[in-house]
Amino acid sequence: MTRPRLLTVAAIAVAVMLPLVVKSDLTLTILVFSFLLAMLAVSFNLIFGFTGQLSMFHAAAYGIGAYATHIGMRDLGLAFWPAVGFAMALVTVLSAIIGTICFRFRLKAFYFAVVTLAFAEMARLVAANWHGVTNGTLGLTLTAKPSIGWPGHAIAIDNTLAWYYLSLTALAMTIVVCSRCVHSWMGRCFVAIRLNDALGDALGIDIFRYKLLSFCIANAIAAIAGALYAHFLGYVDPSFLSVDQSLAIVAMVLLGGKGRVAAPVVGAIFLTLLPHLIHFNAEVRAIIYGSILILVILLLPKGIVGTAAEWSRRRHA
Amino acid sequence: MLEVEHLTKRFGGLTAVADVSFAIAQGEIVAVFGPNGSGKTTLLSMIAGVLAPTAGMIRYRGTSLVGLPPNRVVALGIAKTFQNPQLFEELTVVEHLRIAGHLMLKRRLGWRRLLTLFGGATDGERTVDARADRVVALCRLDRARDTIAADLSYGQEKMLGVAMALMCEPELLLLDEPASGLGHGEVTELERVLRDLRDQGTTLCIIDHQVKFLGRLADRAISLQHGAKIADGPPQDVLSRPEVIAAYLGASHAADTAA
Repeated sequence: MTRPRLLTVAAIAVAVMLPLVVKSDLTLTILVFSFLLAMLAVSFNLIFGFTGQLSMFHAAAYGIGAYATHIGMRDLGLAFWPAVGFAMALVTVLSAIIGTICFRFRLKAFYFAVVTLAFAEMARLVAANWHGVTNGTLGLTLTAKPSIGWPGHAIAIDNTLAWYYLSLTALAMTIVVCSRCVHSWMGRCFVAIRLNDALGDALGIDIFRYKLLSFCIANAIAAIAGALYAHFLGYVDPSFLSVDQSLAIVAMVLLGGKGRVAAPVVGAIFLTLLPHLIHFNAEVRAIIYGSILILVILLLPKGIVGTAAEWSRRRHA
Repeated sequence: MLEVEHLTKRFGGLTAVADVSFAIAQGEIVAVFGPNGSGKTTLLSMIAGVLAPTAGMIRYRGTSLVGLPPNRVVALGIAKTFQNPQLFEELTVVEHLRIAGHLMLKRRLGWRRLLTLFGGATDGERTVDARADRVVALCRLDRARDTIAADLSYGQEKMLGVAMALMCEPELLLLDEPASGLGHGEVTELERVLRDLRDQGTTLCIIDHQVKFLGRLADRAISLQHGAKIADGPPQDVLSRPEVIAAYLGASHAADTAA
């Protein structure tokens, strides 16, 4: 077994055992949030870290996923998981449309970021103003809880411990899916697009198709993360789709490292835990939080995981 | 195999390629000569789908290539190397070749590529790896196999360009100045690789300045000047024509040679 894989397995083992030691509901709650945000960051890394496209639509996909799951249950009478499926399908269709527009016009780098940001803002404004469906800026209270199993033998996910294992499973599945994509012909196409798309094109790779594929897969996973996050929180409002949320995801990926599938998990956990570890007034806390973020990104350009890997390689070399 | 008819490319007021027609038969090595700015690279770029022609026709085995993007042209069997090596900076030689094996995998597996995501259809990747090994040996890149692109010598970079094109299993290989910037030894090596390729049945179309190198290698030569074709025939004939010499070395030199 390779070292990174060994570490991943060890991390999963620790995460599975953790609730045996940690009994604090607050700590578990924070961890559930970190796992779901980690899911968001890992999926974002697919389009950002591997395919090299700075999408600003990721938070929008996450927010739309949250809203659409609720709407699927409320207006279409679906159960929780089919409603999540509906949200994924909706986000995939929207991503295909937006991706087609952006990639057909060959928008790259900041142009792509700006146009996806415009679409994300459009989605946020719809969420903020379509009162009949979204209850506007007041947001919606979500009381539905998912359950696992089949009718008659379902386990309700209605306490923090159950949510802990559900979010951990969802995160693990996200890592497996992204890892399978990245370590395949598909991932090679993504990397080719990031490093030299003209060369990729000359080698027979349909740049448009693989950019779109990467964008759709990443956003579909974000939709699941949004559905779970909002239903754990019991609330969704338009801030789910905000630029702040998008930038937080970028920060998580940069902090963890973009070169590896699971590295953004470290960034997500770090950024979610950090505010809870700084025991100061809100203003001071914001300053410290921001400073740590800036310092880490400046000092560790490859992210926490990338730097640690390099350090360990040098020690063993 | 390839037919080019009345091909023209204008950039604003400049005519880079003017009404060029020629055909390439299977198994040939065709050289395209011409001084700088004579439209050689533009011509190859139009065949490869990088540039759209202003007018004219390009047909490959009866299929029109006009309007097809590069990835479709290469999928039909025409690969092109770049004049300035285009590489994936941070990847190793063998990783380049795996990426370049994209079409191979697609042809071999078709929809079964989806199975590889679940750990199935491993035969496809094995075929790609096996071809990568053969191409590495053919292109004399054995020692650089696991070197990252940024650390390669210029000659190796150029050879890697050829190697990647070969991973696309081309029937027709277009080479844009493969010998430019190479040392004497490297040119000899390249010549050997290209001959091996021809012996394996690949048709080659090479553009270059190096008249000696092309003269030794080519079965046929086409000479361009100011975007127009001025000669087409056996290399020694074409190279001794006064108008070709004039195009290369100036009119006075042509007069001296004729005298």
